[in-house]
Amino acid sequence: MHSHRSTLILPGLVAVVIGALLVAGCTGTGGTATPTPTGTTTDNAGSFVPSGATGKISVTGSTTVLPIAQALAERYMDLNQGADIQVSGGGSSVGVTAIGEKTAEIGMASRELKDAETAKYPALEPIAVARDGIAVIVHPSNTVADLTLDQVREIYAGNVTNWKDVGGQDRQIVAIGRDSASGTREFFTEKVMGTTSTAATMLEKNSNGAIQSSVAPNPGAIGYVGLGYVDATVRAIPLSVDGTAVEPSIENVVNGRYPVARELYFVTSGEATGLARDFVAFALSDEGQQIVEKEGFIPIAA
Amino acid sequence: MHPISTATLPGPARAARPHRGESAIRALWLACALVAVLAVAFILLFLVADSLPAFVEIGIAEFLLGETWSPTATPPAHGILSLVVGTLLVTIGAMAVAVPLSVATAIYLAELAPPRIRNAVRPVIELLAGIPSVVFGFFGLVVLVEWLRVSFAAPSGESVLAGSLLLGIMTLPTIISVSEDAIGSVPREFREGSLALGATRWQTIRRVVVPSALSGITAAIILGMGRAIGETMAVLMVTGNAAVIPSPITDVLSPVRTLTGTLGIEMGEVAIGSLHHHALFAVATVLLVITLAVNLGASAVLRRLNASATGRASPSRLAGVPGRAVAGAAVSVLAAVLAAAVAHSVGGMPAALAVLGGGLLLVVAVPRLSPRQAERAAFFLLYLAVAVVVAILAIILFDIASKGFPALSWEFLTGSPRDLGRAGGIFPAIVGTLYLVAGAIALALPLGVGAAIHLAEYQRENRLTRFIRSGVDLLNGTPSIVFGLFGFTFLVLYLEFGVSMLAGQVTLGLMVLPTIIRTTEEALRQVPQGLREGSLALGATQWQTIRRVVLPPAAPGILTGTILSIGRAAGETAPILFTAVVFSQRHLPSSLLDPVMALPYHLFVLATNVPGAQQNTYGTALVLILLVCVIYGVAIAVRARYQTTTRL
Repeated sequence: MHSHRSTLILPGLVAVVIGALLVAGCTGTGGTATPTPTGTTTDNAGSFVPSGATGKISVTGSTTVLPIAQALAERYMDLNQGADIQVSGGGSSVGVTAIGEKTAEIGMASRELKDAETAKYPALEPIAVARDGIAVIVHPSNTVADLTLDQVREIYAGNVTNWKDVGGQDRQIVAIGRDSASGTREFFTEKVMGTTSTAATMLEKNSNGAIQSSVAPNPGAIGYVGLGYVDATVRAIPLSVDGTAVEPSIENVVNGRYPVARELYFVTSGEATGLARDFVAFALSDEGQQIVEKEGFIPIAA
Repeated sequence: MHPISTATLPGPARAARPHRGESAIRALWLACALVAVLAVAFILLFLVADSLPAFVEIGIAEFLLGETWSPTATPPAHGILSLVVGTLLVTIGAMAVAVPLSVATAIYLAELAPPRIRNAVRPVIELLAGIPSVVFGFFGLVVLVEWLRVSFAAPSGESVLAGSLLLGIMTLPTIISVSEDAIGSVPREFREGSLALGATRWQTIRRVVVPSALSGITAAIILGMGRAIGETMAVLMVTGNAAVIPSPITDVLSPVRTLTGTLGIEMGEVAIGSLHHHALFAVATVLLVITLAVNLGASAVLRRLNASATGRASPSRLAGVPGRAVAGAAVSVLAAVLAAAVAHSVGGMPAALAVLGGGLLLVVAVPRLSPRQAERAAFFLLYLAVAVVVAILAIILFDIASKGFPALSWEFLTGSPRDLGRAGGIFPAIVGTLYLVAGAIALALPLGVGAAIHLAEYQRENRLTRFIRSGVDLLNGTPSIVFGLFGFTFLVLYLEFGVSMLAGQVTLGLMVLPTIIRTTEEALRQVPQGLREGSLALGATQWQTIRRVVLPPAAPGILTGTILSIGRAAGETAPILFTAVVFSQRHLPSSLLDPVMALPYHLFVLATNVPGAQQNTYGTALVLILLVCVIYGVAIAVRARYQTTTRL
């Protein structure tokens, strides 16, 4: 009797697993079999009017651009019930490769296309959808009033290692930056570091959010993040330009006074068509750019 | 050992009537076993092909021995020495934390714990294997790193120590579960014999039980080490990722960067086809070579142990070897000096002297203890280790549960994410994770059990089995991030699956395959040879014997392996990062070629990319753990029911 029961255990387990898979499959089909029907959009005046294109597209790439694309997609799917827009991260290169290999309809990049990429995929077209300022952030208790670009460079080069050398308390500086392949790091290097190389002792993080959450609790830390990632847990330090301290703010990026600003891109393969084209148009519309601003980035048209 | 006798038995059944089905079944299991080898071959092919340009352009010596890794500087530098050293330091540190704690806990559970406690603690430990690495990483970043920074007055807590502690904790459940299984299967007669001879319980454990279970314990440690070396997400969140060699090398508060961390943070952003891209594939190749070396070394050790301890408790082992005490003392002194150097970097000279003095005192004092005193001291240390393990796990679970609970609501569980996951729910992510795990297990369980049956039942040890076993070892040590790279280049791009559920399921299935093969094989080997012989003698065919006699008592072991695999598949982020997941999706996927949301990836993005989502981040972590609890709970209940009917 005992042995009889025991022989059933293994096949039983396999059956359970396969059964679970089947049930899961059914649920999935059920989920998409009953999407909300495509209806007439009843929007306020001034809202973007979708072209009526339906279907499913995938938007993938830079984690910096991801919040923008996600917010845009959520609003667009409210306007166009027949659209299914899937947003994923991975990084600028994942986005460029995905669109190059046509595994996605729209790529996202926080940097310009590399020569190697345009050579391999000549059809790629970057479309700027937002601008972004890069803020230098420190712990809220940090007493340093402002920093010059030279001082920031010396800190990241490892030549200045104590806050007292730039007018702060006697505390060791912990420099935190992005990984070397990041579009943000590349831009920071170009605008701030120039030809000076970054110290090997810099802590490296793979996202804006990770830098922000490392700087927030650490009194000695300094980091750099996109403007959208500055909140009350960190202090964005003004950069001194020609003797005037310039706050990293949307106004100062728009009026060109803040020195570290860049563009963020959607990448399409040739001219986008159908739903992808309509989604890009939405991103560039007034309503789309308002969403960009709400997410803490700077509208492209401004 | 066992299969030799099986294969060479003059089976009366075979003589009586030929079984056409037998050879087909046999070929089927061989095919299963070869899948693992094939997977390794493909992974190697794709890695090496993509890393060759880097080796050619940079030069192997420059690549391996260069200390500077700064691939985007002008001129770029691609030296990975600091990354290799970082990987080794963190792995050694993790093992220093995990091995004593987990082996002690396993001994306690198998030998000392009252049945009630054992039955309560064991499922809990297995559940912990299901805590995803990204949850550990998140916990490490917000709690552990802060605690280290404040406690040791360090500029930053992101360090070798943080990585070692976190990885050590993460590998605890794996090593405990598998070691405890091994210790539990040492025949009771061995203990009774030893105790009857007048040995204390501790002497019995130390001289009889542990040596008999040594091959299982070693397998457990290798499994754990495989997880430590291959871990990406948690490590890159807590080690700081500065590509420097700590100076001095024992400075555990220095930040380091591991090979996996480098892949994890740079792979997503690097331009495909650039020298930097090829250099990263070369890093992955080096990582594989290191794992290969570790695994080959470990299997060599295992073979020697098996050879010297055939019969599971040879007299020579019980008697002890002259000179062993001296060698043991020398090792202990070395360990004490090393520990003192580490203590110096953490707490300065006084700490170093205290550790050194304490260590030397132990070396002198331990041999002078009476058996009773030794037993009391040893048991005290065992209980202490168990208490530490329980406390650590309780702290982590409490932190996540208390901060995650407020996020739970009906809407959170059944809705789609809104406002970047700060609001709304995680329903598509829950379903996506279930899909991925179910697909991965449906693929890996039949393949893995088949391969293990081939290895354990049909083949005597020969070149082919060693080949297959090396393939399995290599696959086991292959870091999850490498599976991710492979899945992306082979499944997503080359086979044109696109970013899809199917690509994720296959990638995850390959990743858990070696765990299932290993644990199944270990379980099959624990089945007494007499059972097989009896069955064959009664005229059963070999397949009948395996199906009716060998597999049933091995089922709990197979189930343990499956449970560990489910936990791992549910929690992994790195393999699905580039192959299967989207950040958001309003509708559930309708086919295998659609991408899915997944809880661990959702958690990773919330934790690192979305400021102001802490409550939903903890909520997602809690749901992920609860989900794993439900899966485990079912499996553990099935096993417990089964075990009461077979084990004595």
